[in-house]
Amino acid sequence: MQFQSFDESYVERLRAGDFRTQEHFVAYFSELLQLKLRSRLHSPQAIEDVRQETFARVLAALRGGKIRQPERLGAYVNSMCNNVLLEHYRSSQRDSSIEDEEDQDFPAATVDVIGALAAKQMEGKVREILEELSERDRRVLREVFLEERDKDDVCRDFGVDRDYLRVLLHRAKQSFKALYLKNMSARPPGVVAAGRH
Amino acid sequence: MDHDQAVRQKATERYLLNELDPGLRDEFEEHLFDCQDCALDVRAAAMFVEQSKTVLAEPSVTPVRVPFPAKTTAKVRWMGWLRPVFAVPVLALLTIVGYQNLITLPRMTQAMGKPQLLPSVMVNVSTRGTEVPEVTARKGGAFVVYVRIPPQAGYSQYTAALYNPENKLEWSLPIPMNAGQDTYLVEVPAANRQSGKYTLNIQGVTATGQSTPVGFPAAFEVKMEN
Repeated sequence: MQFQSFDESYVERLRAGDFRTQEHFVAYFSELLQLKLRSRLHSPQAIEDVRQETFARVLAALRGGKIRQPERLGAYVNSMCNNVLLEHYRSSQRDSSIEDEEDQDFPAATVDVIGALAAKQMEGKVREILEELSERDRRVLREVFLEERDKDDVCRDFGVDRDYLRVLLHRAKQSFKALYLKNMSARPPGVVAAGRH
Repeated sequence: MDHDQAVRQKATERYLLNELDPGLRDEFEEHLFDCQDCALDVRAAAMFVEQSKTVLAEPSVTPVRVPFPAKTTAKVRWMGWLRPVFAVPVLALLTIVGYQNLITLPRMTQAMGKPQLLPSVMVNVSTRGTEVPEVTARKGGAFVVYVRIPPQAGYSQYTAALYNPENKLEWSLPIPMNAGQDTYLVEVPAANRQSGKYTLNIQGVTATGQSTPVGFPAAFEVKMEN
């Protein structure tokens, strides 16, 4: 995904309904919302509902001229998501202020050949990074991320501390990041894994 | 939280490891949504974690390094092979191989040649039913799970992960997605398995390797009988 500045021009294009800008906006924030929500909601349907509602309200606010600091668009999205989450937790009636608006769906992004090739490259890189780790480090990552065991238990079993685990992940991420950045930059806006329909 | 603090505290790693307390997590997220550098960092790390799950779930074969025997100038007499240190393990190996070739393999071949009906159970990931379907399987025998996954857009494949009654992951299986297909047949291989509630979790995997849960965890009760 290409870097874009969240500035007056971007917000204006979004407000005007520019397709490419909207695609980028949804794709960029969908990943962050997905990461934010999966630690708070267990149901995939609830995650999707909150994601959709967040986007609907942000775009409604844009059209209503309520976003006064374009450079803080991201913070606005995060804040809106927090509000939607709070409502979800309270299991209250959804705000019907957008009922008059046409229901808009924020679909998952398109899958294309470039994406598939990039995915293959990234999987290869991850494999390479894991193979360079010691058997112990591989097992630590396996038990934490794949088997989702309690991290304190895993650290105790392998005789490491939580800081070791953080550094392990940090180093692996740094090795992976260059390729990730290259692939993200090469991809047209919107062509990214952005969650389910 | 500003950018320097986020970097210094390894906030990305702590965030993905769920180590930030709620207050710090909220602070980091407020920064994250506004900082493209941190957003990139978190997305890269999350992608690495997702891809790692696929790679780490693959069975690994660790090559056994056999030390290359050192050259020796001593002449090894053929009678040396009859020494107990060589003879005993060799004889044991010959006995095992002989038993397998003469007894076990013929039985297995005979059994494999016979058609058999495997017990089966059907689960639907799009519904969270109160009733848990059951399957009765022979102890140590295989059974089949018909998994109904309503067609989903945006994925190139699914991953099915089976959790046993102790909630431990038994295996993870990639399922290539076929357009228009909504029921997939998963053969759960024969194993020394206990009776109890098993759960099949399905994740959808996009072409870029990002995976998200699909539907609800599908539970089914397994009863092993002799």
